[in-house]
Amino acid sequence: MTETKMAADSRTGRETTVETTKGESTEHTREEWTDYEFGDEAVLSVDDLNVYYGEERAIKDVSMDIPEESVTALIGPSGCGKSTFLRSLNRMNDRIKSARVEGSVEFDGQDIYQEGVDLVELRKRIGMVFQSPNPFPKSIRENVAYGPRKHGDISRGLAARLLGRDEKDAEDELVERTLRQAALWEEVEDRLADNALGLSGGQQQRLCIARCLAVDPEVILMDEPASALDPIATAKIEDLIEELAEEYTVVVVTHNMQQAARISDQTAVFLTGGELVEYDDTEKIFENPESQRVEDYVTGKFG
Amino acid sequence: MAREEFRVALADLRRAVVEMGELVLDRLELALSALTEGDDDRAEAVIEGDEEINRCYLDIEADCIDLFALEQPVAGDLRFVAASFKITTDLERVGDLATNLARYALSSRPGTFPELDVSGIGRAAIEMLEDALAAYEGEDAAACRAVAERDDDVDALCQRASERLVRDLLERDPDPDAWELEGLLDDVASVLLTIRDLERVGDHAVNVAARTLYVLEGDPELIY
Repeated sequence: MTETKMAADSRTGRETTVETTKGESTEHTREEWTDYEFGDEAVLSVDDLNVYYGEERAIKDVSMDIPEESVTALIGPSGCGKSTFLRSLNRMNDRIKSARVEGSVEFDGQDIYQEGVDLVELRKRIGMVFQSPNPFPKSIRENVAYGPRKHGDISRGLAARLLGRDEKDAEDELVERTLRQAALWEEVEDRLADNALGLSGGQQQRLCIARCLAVDPEVILMDEPASALDPIATAKIEDLIEELAEEYTVVVVTHNMQQAARISDQTAVFLTGGELVEYDDTEKIFENPESQRVEDYVTGKFG
Repeated sequence: MAREEFRVALADLRRAVVEMGELVLDRLELALSALTEGDDDRAEAVIEGDEEINRCYLDIEADCIDLFALEQPVAGDLRFVAASFKITTDLERVGDLATNLARYALSSRPGTFPELDVSGIGRAAIEMLEDALAAYEGEDAAACRAVAERDDDVDALCQRASERLVRDLLERDPDPDAWELEGLLDDVASVLLTIRDLERVGDHAVNVAARTLYVLEGDPELIY
């Protein structure tokens, strides 16, 4: 049995169609559901983004702004394109040969996909933390200091301010400060010379966050940062994310909907086909979403 | 459809709330008939039965807390569990109001004020609660709004009855000996409190409808 409901949208004049066939909804996304309005400045402004892997389109016409100093969660079922979207925010997809990007991502007033963008500089300002912790097989100290040492000649940011003085204690200060920011200092302060691989998974992940913070980014992208961790380590990462949002803009992909609900200020829901279906305050998404497909997804009726 | 057991638990919750509502309605009707017919046995039965209603309330509350803790409902499911939790509080209060009516039945004489249609007010309030529960059971948003609209009518009936009572007292024989003063005072107090309590039944019915509408449309328009 197929049931079709038509409703005119007074704001955009567009019509939305909901067809229900044997309980499977094929509702079309309405623009206003994804047009999230927030008071602050947008740090990242994504416009009409499409990402293709060869012939296959992984991200479909996505436009969204990401507000500064807040946590934006990206959720959706496996294969919905949320990680692809996250990676497109600092051009990590460039590493994948078959990937092709259309549309624009504006960061600090500039399209990051225009020619001549310095990718090293871009990824320093928009850092990334991955699903499984991937510290370098070096000492804890070297993991944190690696980026600033490498970028030592860059003439702005925390590293330059501290390391530019060319003092050994400046690096000590930087290491302590970033490890404190990553809520790891007290656990490692007397073994900074130990190999980072000897840390627990949760500690390794916080070290990776410290490594990301050490180069003084503005945006931190996190791809399932706690999915490989136990509940205690997860709670520490979640607390950390909320603290980081006071100074940084955090965009986090998570499979764990409760986690998105706990830590994020706004939530974007991607559904299969790389479509952004709804983007709103996290409370709104989890209490009273507009889209029936989002409702079905967050309540576990499918996905 | 995923989360089958959770779906079953939600259906069980809905059934438990409806059953509690039916129990409360039964008690309310029994109390009203005890009051209008002066039947002390029925009044006693209502008072004794309040504990059963309180038990239902606590059981459903525990079920809701389990669902929050174990299933972490969101969106429509969250609104449904939260609303059910609130609705049982309203139903429990209506149970208390039914025991109030039963107590008035024991302390007053029926038919002292035959011109006051207490039974009619009671009928109207009970119908509002019946309709609100049916809207909750049948997920009917239009019925929720209809219940809310009828509250003004019940309020007006109560207001008119109170005024009528005052007029009636003023028009009575000015000789206090003719009144059987003590009995009359009890009757006046009971009938005023009865009117107030029936009006409150209507208010709780509106609450049930308002929470139900919030479940269905995410619309808090009736919640105040």
